Amino acid sequence: MVAVKAYELRNKNKAELLKVLDEQKQELASLRVQKVAGGSASKLHQIGLARKNIARTLTVINQTQREQLRLFYQKKKYIPLDLRVKKTRAMRRALTPFERKLKTEKQKKKENHFPLRKYAVKA
Amino acid sequence: MAPKASPKSKAAAAKKAALKGVHGKSVRKVRTSTHFHLPKTLRLSRKPKYARKSVPHLPRMDQYRVVRNPLNSETAMKKIEEHNTLTFIVDVKANKHQIKDAVKRLYDVEALKVNTLIRPDGKKKAYVRLTADVDALDVANKIGLI
Repeated sequence: MVAVKAYELRNKNKAELLKVLDEQKQELASLRVQKVAGGSASKLHQIGLARKNIARTLTVINQTQREQLRLFYQKKKYIPLDLRVKKTRAMRRALTPFERKLKTEKQKKKENHFPLRKYAVKA
Repeated sequence: MAPKASPKSKAAAAKKAALKGVHGKSVRKVRTSTHFHLPKTLRLSRKPKYARKSVPHLPRMDQYRVVRNPLNSETAMKKIEEHNTLTFIVDVKANKHQIKDAVKRLYDVEALKVNTLIRPDGKKKAYVRLTADVDALDVANKIGLI
């Protein structure tokens, strides 16, 4: 059986990819039947290849789907939760850099009127 | 209605109406039952501003996941010949409806009934009895079981 190549899959559209996925699953099913009905060692080796082919197809499907969705949601205000930045829960709830550098009027005036001075001693 | 509404009292009444509004009288609701039931309020339907999951998942329990492989043990072969049933090892999470549907999709045969059991090794076995117009032996040959 041929190993499906990911770079060839990326040129296909969604319907074709789903068809490829279906074919690969059917192959895997038939290989499993052959395993039960006493298959040769080469047939049993194909089972592993078939599973990886299915994984490759699914990866391409999901990758291209999410990529397209990210493009679609780029300019929008609300994006789906699984496309948002993951990081950690605490980091998502932390203050933004803008919020961290906010100062009160009082502090701004103080810093304005009494900045830190640098001196130098004349040698 | 004063018999003689003086302009001063009319002006005062108009001022009061403008400030306090004209719906002065409160009416008591007529209660015809002694029980208080939940009042019907406004129920809004959902209008989400964004989908929570970006894309819905492909069906997880598709026919390839439900039916793993057929069995060809001696008792299974006996069942094929005598009772017109096929035996499959099936996913543990599959139920009889899913098994019936999966067998239909995979092998294009109608199941009369499905009996399942969980084997001691943790896998699920399904006995799928086929309808009388199909021969289990033919189907088994077609699958590649024999």
